[in-house]
Amino acid sequence: MINITETPEKEVVEATIKVLSMGGLVIFPTETVYGAGVDATNPAAVDKLLAYKSRREGKPLSIAVSNQELAAKYVEINEQAKNLYQRFLPGPVTVISKGLGEVARGVESEFGTLGVRIPDHELMLKILEAFGRPVTATSANASGKRRPYSIQNIMDNLSGKQRNLIDLVLDAGELPKNEPSTVIDTTLSTPTTLRAGRVKATQEDSLISRSEEETKKIAGTLMLKYWDEIKEKGLVIGLDGVLGAGKTIFTKGVAEFLQISETITSPTYSYIEEYDYERHRVKGRLYHIDLWKIESEEELERLEIEKLIAPNNVIVIEWWDQGKEKLATNLKILIEEIEGQSRNLIINHE
Amino acid sequence: MNKSLILAIDTSCDDTAAAVTAGTKVLSNVIASQTQLHAPYGGVFPTVAKQAHKENIDQTIKLALKRAEVDWNQIKAIAITQGPGLAPALEVGIAKAKELAKEHDLPLIAVNHIEAHALSPLANSTTKHYFPALAIVVSGGHTEFIKITQIGEYERLGYSIDDAAGEVLDKVGRMLNLGYPAGPVIEQFAKKGDQKKHSVPLPMTDREDFNMSFSGLKTWARNKLEQLETQNTLDKQGAYDFSASFQYGVFRHICYKLNKLLKKHQVAEIWLGGGVAANIQLRRMIRETLKSYNNETEQPKTKLFTPYSKRLCMDNAAMIGLVAGFKFQHQQLVRNIENIERQPRWEVGA
Repeated sequence: MINITETPEKEVVEATIKVLSMGGLVIFPTETVYGAGVDATNPAAVDKLLAYKSRREGKPLSIAVSNQELAAKYVEINEQAKNLYQRFLPGPVTVISKGLGEVARGVESEFGTLGVRIPDHELMLKILEAFGRPVTATSANASGKRRPYSIQNIMDNLSGKQRNLIDLVLDAGELPKNEPSTVIDTTLSTPTTLRAGRVKATQEDSLISRSEEETKKIAGTLMLKYWDEIKEKGLVIGLDGVLGAGKTIFTKGVAEFLQISETITSPTYSYIEEYDYERHRVKGRLYHIDLWKIESEEELERLEIEKLIAPNNVIVIEWWDQGKEKLATNLKILIEEIEGQSRNLIINHE
Repeated sequence: MNKSLILAIDTSCDDTAAAVTAGTKVLSNVIASQTQLHAPYGGVFPTVAKQAHKENIDQTIKLALKRAEVDWNQIKAIAITQGPGLAPALEVGIAKAKELAKEHDLPLIAVNHIEAHALSPLANSTTKHYFPALAIVVSGGHTEFIKITQIGEYERLGYSIDDAAGEVLDKVGRMLNLGYPAGPVIEQFAKKGDQKKHSVPLPMTDREDFNMSFSGLKTWARNKLEQLETQNTLDKQGAYDFSASFQYGVFRHICYKLNKLLKKHQVAEIWLGGGVAANIQLRRMIRETLKSYNNETEQPKTKLFTPYSKRLCMDNAAMIGLVAGFKFQHQQLVRNIENIERQPRWEVGA
């Protein structure tokens, strides 16, 4: 434990780099919350971090670097990302780009994407610059625990085993209660915000998909965003779009995320198809529902859809529009055809 | 063959059905939506799921016994659809079958609904059948090729990875405002139209497997209909021509895969089952496919068998009783009646 307000900066930087180089785990301050960092290119160090965080369940880590040039060694920076870097970084924004596979396994998401952050924190920038390699930039709390603004509230929520994994703590005292960084995904053609921080997300996002594969990927990304909510209370997704727009394709993406290996076929005829899933030891059920044949409120009531809503359950309702008066959703998605394989996905968060 | 009388019940989806069979002979075949069970209420009544099945089931069973002119002490076993289908609907039938089995002290036989469609051409059949046979199940919920080495021994060789053939005919028919189910109306319209008027794409030709996909045809149909609307050519004849072309496109896809399959798997007979098996054009196209296949090979001719009546094509309980007849012969009974549970995603030979 180093108290950084009382220790000369040079000593802090040197000590931190030494620990990081040896694969150690450092708790460090940023302009948002305390972060937990290891050398993102060192597989053993990343394993250590994953053990510390526990229960990541496929959520990607992100990396902190000192500047855009260094970031470009690890991710493909497109036009949109370039604009974001110039406008927001260093700052409380994590920009997700397509990863180049240069970091250790488990850092990039299962979709091959990687979030990059340049913290707006003088000491951290100096450390990162001197280190010259990316450091993982996940918050220092164990998964699911409170946002870490002080070393004390991090330690209080850790098990003894987790505490033993920490090699160095840079204590900057109580941090101002800034929101965690806003995550912006630039791998999808139009901006979407995965986690709303100070740069607020809009209630309605619009995404362009150029292929069935991309539609499935968008579905997976959204599921990852809602994963905590799914475990807590379940998720109801309403899907609309003309015949052949790709509603079942979207559902196939949801199923892929849930690691369901069965083929997702249209539920039109039987109204409801159910699939058991197990993802990262979370067991639940996907209900794939189609209201296309539903003509009346009475028929809808007889399906008793609200009884299916429970923690760990995902309910995807196609032709949701047919029952919208009766059914509440957490997420509404309208799929519009642009031309050929291209689709516009208009996403409404409740 | 064992001619024990079996009472069969099917509540896999919309229709409540009961039948009495003796071996492959059908003594009665009652389907609730087609009868006047609800005459006091007049006309159409909602047929969705659980509640409707509960309301219909007792009378349907009673009527099946009455039409077969048998009473309970002549029945030797009860057959029930265990899956696939809509879970809450299946539950109603299973609960009733359990109750009756206990009340009348009869064995219970659990049957797969798709296996029943596959074997439905055997109902009331007086000819000798040869193996291996290939069952083609084409309905609102399924499109499958199942190789039958002998009764009870199945291998699914191909299936639709998205929509079922009957479903796309219904859906596209509804775009033409033909109501539900629109498939039979499309068939009627098609007789008056030119199937060569529009050229429908042939899906999945770049794949070696025997799987099918109908969702692309749906998208094609919607675009074509929009185009015809703008050109103002969707008049009566326009609708006939479109119906003929589209139906031809759907069946051509099945026949293309069938032809491919026959080149790899030699079969003695083809058994066509499921709601769309009632379609004369489909039967004709399969016969044409077989004709050219038979001309090319030295083997004994492969013949097509279809269910003897339209009621055996749709969801019905007679086919369930027929399968149960074979299972009864081999004493394949439900051992612990208390533990039988619905299997909404039970696949045959997969």
